[in-house]
Amino acid sequence: MRTLTKLLSVLLALALSMTACAAFAEETVTINFWHHYSAQSAENETLMNVLIPAFEAENPGIKVNAVSHEWAELHDKVLVSAQSASLPDVARCDIAWLPEFQKMGILTALDEEMADFAEVSGRLLDSAMSTTVIAGHNYALALNTNSKIIFYNTAMLEAAGVEVPATMDQWVEVITKLSGENANGQQVWGWNEPALAGWNICPFIWSFGGALTNEDQTVATGYINGPATVKAVETFAELVKSGAIIGFNAGDIPMTDGFGTGRYAMMLEGPWKSAELAGAYPDVAYGTAPMPAGEGGSISVLGGEDIAMFNTANKEAAWKFMQFMTSEYAETEMAKCGQIPVNKAALESDTVKNADYAPFIEAIQTAKARPTVAAWSEMDNGLTVAMTAVVTGEKTAQEAMDELAAEWDELLK
Amino acid sequence: MVTKSRGMRSQLIALLLPGLLVFGVFTVYPIIRLFWMSLCDMSFSSMLTQPFAGLMNYREVFSDETFFTVFVNSIVYTLVTVPGQMAIGLFVAILLNGIKRFSVTFRVINYLPVVTSWVIASLVFRYIFNTEGLLNYFLWKIVGITSSNIRWLDTRWSGLSVAMILGIWKGIGWNMVIFLAALQQVPQDLYEAAEIDGCGAWKKFVHVTLPGIRGTVLFALIELTIGGFNVFTSIKMITGGKPAHQTDTLLTWMYYKAFSTGKFGYAAALSFVMALTLGLLAIVQFRAMRNKDN
Repeated sequence: MRTLTKLLSVLLALALSMTACAAFAEETVTINFWHHYSAQSAENETLMNVLIPAFEAENPGIKVNAVSHEWAELHDKVLVSAQSASLPDVARCDIAWLPEFQKMGILTALDEEMADFAEVSGRLLDSAMSTTVIAGHNYALALNTNSKIIFYNTAMLEAAGVEVPATMDQWVEVITKLSGENANGQQVWGWNEPALAGWNICPFIWSFGGALTNEDQTVATGYINGPATVKAVETFAELVKSGAIIGFNAGDIPMTDGFGTGRYAMMLEGPWKSAELAGAYPDVAYGTAPMPAGEGGSISVLGGEDIAMFNTANKEAAWKFMQFMTSEYAETEMAKCGQIPVNKAALESDTVKNADYAPFIEAIQTAKARPTVAAWSEMDNGLTVAMTAVVTGEKTAQEAMDELAAEWDELLK
Repeated sequence: MVTKSRGMRSQLIALLLPGLLVFGVFTVYPIIRLFWMSLCDMSFSSMLTQPFAGLMNYREVFSDETFFTVFVNSIVYTLVTVPGQMAIGLFVAILLNGIKRFSVTFRVINYLPVVTSWVIASLVFRYIFNTEGLLNYFLWKIVGITSSNIRWLDTRWSGLSVAMILGIWKGIGWNMVIFLAALQQVPQDLYEAAEIDGCGAWKKFVHVTLPGIRGTVLFALIELTIGGFNVFTSIKMITGGKPAHQTDTLLTWMYYKAFSTGKFGYAAALSFVMALTLGLLAIVQFRAMRNKDN
C-alpha cells in the first residue's frame, strides 16, 4: 500500500511538471483534412507516410488528421456536415464542387483573407487557378489537374491512309474517312463521344471559337447561341447523323471496349485512359495528339482538384497546410503517383517530364474550365438535353441553342 | 367492453412503446420532416438557411416538362408491368396447382428471378438488348429476319419496354407464390358443384376461381402498383434515363434532382406528388373491388 502511494505521488508530480512544461510550449493545433485519394492508393500512401510527416516536422505544433472518403461520398458529406457545423478545416475538392460549396457560403475567400495569396497563387498554373475563381474571388488553390487529348488507333489510321488531324477541318474529314465497315463487316466509327454533356462538347465549342457565357459568367445569350458555337454544334450533329460519331446512346459499345477492339478509331480522353487500356487491351497500339485546332485554337477541357479552406477552419494552420500541399516538394511527390501537378516548378521536374502523362501537360496550358457557377449541374443537364434534340434532328442547332441560351440566362441570374 | 385496470394499461403502453418509438423516429418523423422540406427552398444557395418557400417547389414540379415525361413513363410502366406479371403469375399458379409431380421444382424455377439481384438482372438485360447485343445478333446473324442492328435501348419507348420486360420477368415468381396460396384456399366443393352445373374450364375460372381469390388480387394490385412507381434500379442500370431523361421514371428523376443538382426541396415535393398519386390509386382500386362485391 505504501509503495502504491509513493508511486502515485511520483506520477502526480511528474504529471504536474509536464503540464507546466506544456503550458510554456505552444499549444498543438490539429487540422482536419478530408480528401478522396482512395484509401488503398499510392497517393494515400504518399500523403500519410511522406507528406504529412514532412509537414508536421516543418511545422511543430500543427497536427494533420487526414480522412479518406469516396469521391461521391465526400461531396454529400460536405453538404450534410455544413448543416451540422462539423466541417473539416481543409478539403480536396473536385473542381466541379467548388461553385456549389461557395454558393452555400462555407468557403473562405483566400484572396481577401490571406495577405500572401498573390505570391502563393503565382507559383501555380493560371489555367488551373481559373477553376478557383468564383464571382471574382479565389476560394481555393489548384492542387492537381487533368485534361483530355486525342487517343487514336494507329492501325486504323494507317489502314485508312490518313494523318492525325491537326485542324478542325482535317478532323471532320479524317473521322468521316475512318467510319464505315471494317474487314469483318462490322460497323466502325471515326470518333467516340460517351456523352453529350459539357465535359464532352465544350472542347468543340471552344476550339471552334465559340463560348458558353460571357467572361463574368452572367449572360449566355450571344455566346452559347453565337455563330461559332452553333457552327460547332451543327458540325458535331452532322457527323453523328453521317455515322462518324457515336457512343452517347444507352445501347452503344462502351468507350474503352470499342476503342480496344478497333471499333472506334479516335476519342478524346484523360490520362487515366492509358492505365485502363494497358489493363484491358494491352495489345492495342495507339498514339496521342492534342485537340485539333479550330478558329479558337486547340482548346480542351480542364478537370482536376482544388484544395479549399472552410469558414470554420483554424485559418493560420490550414493556410500553412494548403501552401505545403501545393509546394514544389509535395506536388513532385504526388506527381510520382500519377497526379499531374499545377505547381510551375514541379512541372519542370524530370519526374513530370518523363511521366506517362507528359503529353497532357501542353493541353493543360491552353485548356479551359467549365463555368464556375453553382447552377452548372443544371446548365450541364440543359446542354445535354439540347444536344440530344439536335443530334436526333428534333431541332436545328440554332433553335436548340437559342432555347438553351434563354434557359441559361435564367439560371445565371 | 371490459375496462382495463390501470396496471394492465401501463403494461400495454410499456409493451407498445418500443415499437411506437421506432415507428415514430424512423417513419413518422422523416415523413413530417420531408413534408417540411418540400415547403422550403433547399438548393445550394440556401442549404444552410432553408427559408420557407410555400408551394414554390410544387409549382416548379408542375411547370417542369421533364416531370410530365417521367410521370407518364412511370404510369405506363405500372400499367404494363402490373397486369402483365399478375396475369402470367396467375396462369403459372393455376398450372402448378393442377399438377401432382415436380410442383416444387417448377415453383423454384419460377421463383428464381425474384431472388436474382436487380443489378445483375439489369446488366444481363442490357447485354441482351445492346445495339450489338445478343438479341440483335440472334435476329440478324442467326434467324436473319433483320438486316441491321436495331437500337433497342436508344429511344424512349423501346428503352422503357426493355425495363418493362425485365419488370414482368422478375415479378412472375412473386405473383405465382401468392396466387398459388390463394388458389389452395378456394373450396374444392365449389369446383365440383360447378362441374355438376356443366361449367367448362373457363367458366370455372371466371365464376369460381376469380371470386375466390379476389382479396389476393386486390392485395397484389396495390402492392405491385406501389412497386411499379418505385422502379429505379433497372432504369438506372439499363438506360440511365438516356436519351436526355426521356426514359427516366419518377424515382430516377427524383434522385437526379436531389443528388446531382442539389434541389432537395424539389425532390421532396416530387415525392409527395408521387405519394398522393399512389394514395389516390389505392382508393380507386379499393372502390373498384368493393363495387364488384355488391
